[in-house]
Amino acid sequence: MKKILTNFNEANNQHIYNMRHKQKVVDHKTALNKEYDAVIVGSGISGSIVAKELSQKGYSVLILEAGPGKDLTISGYEKYINQFYSAVSKDNNAPYKRNPNAPMPRSVDVKKLEPGKPNTDSYLVQNGPFISDFTYSRVVGGTTMHFESKTPRMLPEDFNILTRYGHGLDWPMEYEDLMPYYRKAEFEMGVSGDVSSQTFSNEKAYEDDYVFPMLEMPPSYLDQCVAKDLDGTEINVAGETKTLKIRTFPQGRNGIPNNDYKKFNNGELFKPVGAVSEHQAEEGERCQGNNNCTPICPVQAKYDARKTLAKALENGGVDILPQTVASRVVIDPVTQKVSAIVYKSYEDINSEKHTTGTITANLFILAANAVENARLMLASGLNGSSDLMGRNLMDHPYILTWALLPEVAGTTRGTICTSGISDIRNGDFRKEQAAFAVDIHNDGWGWATGSPNTNLEDIVDNKNKFGKELRNELVHQISKQLLLANMVEMMPEPSNRITVDPKYVDRLGNPRPIVTMHLPEYTMKGIAFARQMSRQIFQRLGAEDYSTYSTEDYGYVEYKGEGYAIRGGNHLAGTHVMGTDPSNSVVDANQKSWDHSNLYLVGAGSMPTIGSSNTTLTMAALCFKSIDAMVNDLKELQASKQTSKQL
Amino acid sequence: METYQENLNVFLDLSVVLTDFSSYELQGTGQLEAYYSTIIDVIGESNMVEVLDAFTLAKTNANGNETELEKQIRIQLLSNDKLGPITRNIIKMWFIGNWYQLPNIWRETYGAYEKDETFVVSAIAYTEGLLWPTIGSHPPGAKAPGYATWIDAPQISKV
Amino acid sequence: MQLHQVETEHLHPIETVDDLKFYLYTAIQLEHATIPPYLTAMYSIHPGTNKDVYDLIRVVVVEEMLHLTLAANLMNAIGGIPDLTGEGFVPSYPTYLPNGETDFKVGLGKFSEETIDTFLNIERPPLPTDSLKGGSKHSFGLTNTKRSRKLLIPAFKSADGDELHFYSIGEFYRAIGDGITKLTQELGEENVFTGDPSKQITPEYYYSGGGEIIPIYNEEDALAAIRLISEQGEGHDGGIFDYEGELSHYYRFQQIKLGQYYHEGDEPNAPSGGPLAIDWDSVYPIQSNPRITDYPEGSELKTAAMDFNIFYKNFLEQLTIALNGQPDQLISAVGGMFRIKEMSYQLMRNPISDDNENTGAPTFEIDAIS
Repeated sequence: MKKILTNFNEANNQHIYNMRHKQKVVDHKTALNKEYDAVIVGSGISGSIVAKELSQKGYSVLILEAGPGKDLTISGYEKYINQFYSAVSKDNNAPYKRNPNAPMPRSVDVKKLEPGKPNTDSYLVQNGPFISDFTYSRVVGGTTMHFESKTPRMLPEDFNILTRYGHGLDWPMEYEDLMPYYRKAEFEMGVSGDVSSQTFSNEKAYEDDYVFPMLEMPPSYLDQCVAKDLDGTEINVAGETKTLKIRTFPQGRNGIPNNDYKKFNNGELFKPVGAVSEHQAEEGERCQGNNNCTPICPVQAKYDARKTLAKALENGGVDILPQTVASRVVIDPVTQKVSAIVYKSYEDINSEKHTTGTITANLFILAANAVENARLMLASGLNGSSDLMGRNLMDHPYILTWALLPEVAGTTRGTICTSGISDIRNGDFRKEQAAFAVDIHNDGWGWATGSPNTNLEDIVDNKNKFGKELRNELVHQISKQLLLANMVEMMPEPSNRITVDPKYVDRLGNPRPIVTMHLPEYTMKGIAFARQMSRQIFQRLGAEDYSTYSTEDYGYVEYKGEGYAIRGGNHLAGTHVMGTDPSNSVVDANQKSWDHSNLYLVGAGSMPTIGSSNTTLTMAALCFKSIDAMVNDLKELQASKQTSKQL
Repeated sequence: METYQENLNVFLDLSVVLTDFSSYELQGTGQLEAYYSTIIDVIGESNMVEVLDAFTLAKTNANGNETELEKQIRIQLLSNDKLGPITRNIIKMWFIGNWYQLPNIWRETYGAYEKDETFVVSAIAYTEGLLWPTIGSHPPGAKAPGYATWIDAPQISKV
Repeated sequence: MQLHQVETEHLHPIETVDDLKFYLYTAIQLEHATIPPYLTAMYSIHPGTNKDVYDLIRVVVVEEMLHLTLAANLMNAIGGIPDLTGEGFVPSYPTYLPNGETDFKVGLGKFSEETIDTFLNIERPPLPTDSLKGGSKHSFGLTNTKRSRKLLIPAFKSADGDELHFYSIGEFYRAIGDGITKLTQELGEENVFTGDPSKQITPEYYYSGGGEIIPIYNEEDALAAIRLISEQGEGHDGGIFDYEGELSHYYRFQQIKLGQYYHEGDEPNAPSGGPLAIDWDSVYPIQSNPRITDYPEGSELKTAAMDFNIFYKNFLEQLTIALNGQPDQLISAVGGMFRIKEMSYQLMRNPISDDNENTGAPTFEIDAIS
């Protein structure tokens, strides 16, 4: 039986912090008086994994978090949910109050680019030519707070895509090198899924008999409606024939623990991790089908990084300083090592009042996400000897296609997505065009059209329906919805980048990220193909295609005479790319800076390519993989410190 | 107090006709008074009373005939340039929990009320929207029906 | 469904496995019987208000669900058949529970001070055995006080024909534990734990709360389950916490009564934590112990209340199926709790009639359904 001896007053909503974590949220005075082995910037999944692993090995760690720290309690989390319920716009960052001291991009702020000048109204300065509505969250737990928690691995083929298909970059490692860490990441994130359906690589991608910790999320009724007519459809892609099959996606969400996983878990059944700081009586909630993984899972059945962070804080040895924005990385001119991080901390999100301080440690780890890591380095004047800092910015552009099925399919039920099409994720066609994965969105057209609110508005205001007719029309317009979200591969290009400019700063005076992005031809080919494939799918299903892309849309892109409204995927990567030497990369295969020997830049920013996989699982695996190198460095750094003291 | 209860009852009757949900189901949302007072709060009691009076007239004219009542609702309320937008707002409020800002032409003609902007009536109102039971579902982020319930066809009550 | 019906009216000292089965049937019934009163009080609270109280009651309900499942595992472990569908399984409220020398009424009522007093009575810790006095005839917690006929724990018939009663629920569980130990010693573990192990509810199917489910295959598992049930209810060793450091049910409820949270290191009855905000008025004015016959003939409320009872009956049937060899059914059965909540809210928001200021509530009259 689990022993938790100090959480007796967890239900005490008067208390801001749960006892288990309370002492761990420190003040600046305490932090400045302590000597930390490592300072981590950011409490998202990368930062939380590194904090947990280093503290388990006995190192003391301080996390600087830009956002407020009340999220570690149930009452704090419930405030997010209520904020979400009451918000007119239910976008990805709807659960959080606007925080000008650590602003975050919101899709509601995005507008079409006016020719000749950048968009500067909101936090992200957008240069274009492609305007993306990508977002991330600057709160405890980072963007995992709103991520959907799909956890496909990258494919073995993705790791040397340049050699194989002549596009992108090769990784400084093989898939095999990452395999054991994928397993760790799948354990940490509590993955539900079916390994036997993950068969689109031509190479061995899993160990024999391997299963995920939990059984797959059962396919939705909508999935089944699509699969019964679609499975077996043959698609011609650049001369290759692919047979489509609806399969579930692995996802970090509590389902039914898989008995066969015991073999990979020291004989133990996998124990799902429940709500953070919640009372024991409510720990381990199973997914209830809230259909709201994004923006926020109300029962915390979805993995978010606070689950890892809570373990890190319970370990002892980890402190967290919330409302503390890392502002500058200071380099020792002699050793080229990081000597300190300058931060700005604020008391109140409604006031610009803040204090500036300096924090030191032996080892520094930036885990603030691909955009914010690069922004911080560039704001510190650290463009890197390769000048690659902030470059190679990648995301997964999405092309959405939507239709009405000929039958009631029960749309709006289940997790946001249970199944989709993965057959176009891999093949020789990648010499010609981008790979992509297709999600069946259980939540219907919402992402594309604002449904169901827009349907209701249309039926009442334009179709002049009320009473019985209104109800029937709602069923007709909503319960048959099918939205396919085509997530298309994007290759690294140095000209796609994050920069900073002293002209654009936030309220605390920290430079804002400037995004310069275009969609490469390779990706556009994939987008055009995905759109065409959707037509074939709808034709096969007898579904009415309602997809339409307005020239007024901020994400509107024309390609070969057709227009597409493209959406951001929030899978930001590549900005501190890893490689084999300092000339071709910012970090090495362990995410360690080539230029500064006590600095790690971790997260998807290190990834040279992202294939057609959501990035979180891979970045988690990379962080697990980097721990040994960090520990070695810490040992050496301590030894050399001791020597210098003796001298 | 007496009048309040009477008016509330008329509002309930009107809502039954507009939504095709029974008075039991409407009261079961716990939002009857919340919506009634939201309307009064945003556009004032006299506008509310005008709507209720028009409904009472529609009912009198219909004289118990259901088809005729629907027609009367269109005549007295939905096609009335003043009462139509309010009536449509009442429908939308019941289904999704939002008050929508009235159309510009209405605001120009009948007054731009300070509180007349689009907002969610309350967190609970969002979760009590009738749209969700209509389609055999639940509001995203609330009232989840339980693990794996999504594998079965939705239970949509025929109307 | 006719699964298992114990025809005994009285308890005996546990001498045989069949005696033990009867005790466990009573235990399952008892654990269930507390759930309707707790749910009724919980759902009578206006959503979004009294958050602290709601959470406190919910934790207890979740743990009662665990206790029920554990009692079913015990029943399955010894080859019995857990049955939640028999006549009389759901008591007619108000019903009675033993409380020392007297009985007390357990009814269906809104969240109020009176209701919290009842909850405190349900979860009252047993007195230490040596302090039993007066009517107590036996050292193991029996008393010959006259009890109500609607008492949930059957009377115990002594060798000389006296009708005796357990002093409290704690003594009842103590008797089950002693019985298991005695039978194991006399018959050998393998002759007591003869149940089909595949019927055990295991952590794949039950993990959302209340502590961990314990699959039961032997005496050690069985005693661990009993200990968990007893201590979550009553605390460990006379203290306010159980052996996992969790506040026991009695003291959880006492926080509501006293308007203050317990803090680490507090002595019983003297909490020193933060204040607990209570708004006694943000509660639906439901009728206490309602009956279908209280609702007007032909009203939607009446139909809905009957629908609720049918749904609840199906819920108990589905649970019974799950507890009898189809553990995967447990997940969807528990999912049904969501409908119970929604249906309760609807009933509680509808006035009984124009001239009745009370609103409806679920009646839990399950036996009345044909």
